[in-house]
Amino acid sequence: MKKLLMWSMMAALSAPLAMPQDKVTVPFRDASRPRKLVVDSLLGSVTVRGYGGQEAIVETTPRAGDGRGRGGGRGGGRGKQTEVPAGMHRIGGNTGGVEITEDNNTINISGGFFSPVDISIQVPTQTSVTVNLVTGRTLTIENISGEVEATNMNGQVNINNVSGSVVAHSMNGKIMVSLNSVMPDKAVSVSTMNGDIDVSLPSAVKANLKLKTDHGGMFTDFDIKVDSTPRPPKVEDRRDKGGPYRVEMGGTTYGTINGGGPEIQFTTFNGNIRIHKK
Amino acid sequence: MTCDEAKILLPEYWSQGLGEAEEIAFEVHLADCEACRTEASRLGSLWKGLALVPAEEPGPQLRGRFYNALSAYRQGLESAARPRWKDKVAAWWPKQPAWQMAASFALLAAGIGIGYGMRGEKPREEVHQLREEVASMRQLVALSLLQQQSASDRLRGVSWAYRAEPSDTEVLSALVSAVKNDSNVNVRLQAVDALHAFAASPMTRQAVVQALPHEKAPIVQVALIDLLVDFKDRDAAGELRKLAATESVDGGVRERAQWAVERLQ
Repeated sequence: MKKLLMWSMMAALSAPLAMPQDKVTVPFRDASRPRKLVVDSLLGSVTVRGYGGQEAIVETTPRAGDGRGRGGGRGGGRGKQTEVPAGMHRIGGNTGGVEITEDNNTINISGGFFSPVDISIQVPTQTSVTVNLVTGRTLTIENISGEVEATNMNGQVNINNVSGSVVAHSMNGKIMVSLNSVMPDKAVSVSTMNGDIDVSLPSAVKANLKLKTDHGGMFTDFDIKVDSTPRPPKVEDRRDKGGPYRVEMGGTTYGTINGGGPEIQFTTFNGNIRIHKK
Repeated sequence: MTCDEAKILLPEYWSQGLGEAEEIAFEVHLADCEACRTEASRLGSLWKGLALVPAEEPGPQLRGRFYNALSAYRQGLESAARPRWKDKVAAWWPKQPAWQMAASFALLAAGIGIGYGMRGEKPREEVHQLREEVASMRQLVALSLLQQQSASDRLRGVSWAYRAEPSDTEVLSALVSAVKNDSNVNVRLQAVDALHAFAASPMTRQAVVQALPHEKAPIVQVALIDLLVDFKDRDAAGELRKLAATESVDGGVRERAQWAVERLQ
């Protein structure tokens, strides 16, 4: 019996699983070694939460009739008939084409390429998490102790209750980060083209800050020691050639919190940067 | 023996210092001479009386007193020795504040002079060697971190690259490769920023112009455009114009590219 279980498990791990059901548990091969979760999704939202267990619990919910009109995705009309008719319940069918593999203590989940699907994953708290998401849905990562890498092209990124490091990017979305502690030998970096950056850090955090916003403001309740030798504003006078007179105030602001420490970088083009004390 | 001769021998007789022959002759004379016999007996009683006077012994406290005195003497000697040295120096040191300051400056100047004189060729070589070692250490750290799996580590590699020498082509090519190929937007963004320090190298300019059409993340595109403007690279105007004309590119980026084209004219 034991042997059979092992065989079925190995078979499950060695080949990508097509997902017949909405909830599946995937073990990490070696609980004593560092764990990693990698999620790639095109359509739908992704939520990753740390919990007290040792396995990854993956739940998928096909997104019924995605109102945003992106539902077709690359697969054209294949995402149809996802709405559950009244008085019935789902027994299978469209799962958004989610695929899960485990290799060398790294669990890879990819999906949402043909129809939108919300993927929710629970992993052991001590797991490094990398998520790449493309749609306008929300990317949430919570209760993780490890390295977090999050990219959501068009939607918001929420990173909450994380200890370790965060590298996050969004093109059009806002990025909210709440860090419990920062690893001394890791860099934290958040960037967004058009969204705001809103970060909460422990009040005792030691950090070297590098901040840049081209068209937004920077706000904080921290006592940040701003580098007193910023680059002077660039002045360009081309009025003699009929050109404009331009003063460029932008540029990067450098500063330290509590005497300095690991590097923390926030870059936004059109958004504001807010740094809160927790 | 006459009475005069006997009187000379008398003290020796009593102190028993006479030879045997002389003693016999002396005693024969005493037996004959009344006057000498009286004299001898008077001196004899005095002599015996002197023998009865006790010899003066040192008192029991004397020993203690002696050693007290000795240690006090030694202490005095020691405590006297120190202030004497200090006094000598103090006597040397001027009492006027102005002279004190002058003396301080003189000492400082002498110190600097001595330091400057001792700075030979060898230490300068060592400093140079040390600097080279630090540079190669920084290069090693930057290069190895830029190869890491974790984006956070690669970002640290970029930070280390800032500390490399501007002539360090290995770090430069690692940064260029990060700008062109790194999967993480933030790493590419920071790597572009780090290239500001390598403005002097034509390799940098070429790489930035090449990276521009391949870059898809608007925020990195903006950083690349700003870098080209910073380099005052007129050869880049063509690529920038193309970017500004591409409809699929982010509006903000196209505006920035247009602005850059104007700046570079």
